[in-house]
Amino acid sequence: MPEQGKPVGMSLPLLVLLGLAWFVPGLGHVLLGRRLRAVVFFVVIVVAFLAGLRLDGELIVPHAGDPLSYLAAIASVGNGLLFFIARGVGLGQGVVTSAAYEFGNTFLLTAGMMNLLVVLDTHDIATGKKDW
Amino acid sequence: MLDHLSLMVLHALLIAVFFSFLWKRDRQERWRYFLKVFGALVVGAIVLGWVMYPFPRG
Repeated sequence: MPEQGKPVGMSLPLLVLLGLAWFVPGLGHVLLGRRLRAVVFFVVIVVAFLAGLRLDGELIVPHAGDPLSYLAAIASVGNGLLFFIARGVGLGQGVVTSAAYEFGNTFLLTAGMMNLLVVLDTHDIATGKKDW
Repeated sequence: MLDHLSLMVLHALLIAVFFSFLWKRDRQERWRYFLKVFGALVVGAIVLGWVMYPFPRG
């Protein structure tokens, strides 16, 4: 816990805090006063995400008749703001003929899953299940 | 572009850093955990590659 006062995140409704934590990687930890971890999480997730785009990965959205695409879409959208920015500027369409396509997907999905784990960690800190 | 081994090492590096900060509190614990996860991912993938070597796809 931070030494001085109550972190801003503690006074926010839990769902709002979790939403912010999902939207910007590391923001939940910043709001809870965990700045070092916030920076590390932000850098790791952004680097993984950018590597995924650079490697011709696909930001997967649900495809009718393909149940696995729904799971992959959860991981993709798990990237929060990064997902919407990339989709907004036309990145992350995926180049299936590229040799790096599967690597790109792996990096993009990993980044999203890591961000979702960061959201769960934010929840544990905000609810007192984790005291550091 | 990076080769497959470099990409695998980069991925292992990111994963190991992430989980060492997510799950470990102290600096020393983090270092130990980082080395353990990073080593397991990189060495494990290379070993698995060699184990599969005698079994061609065709």
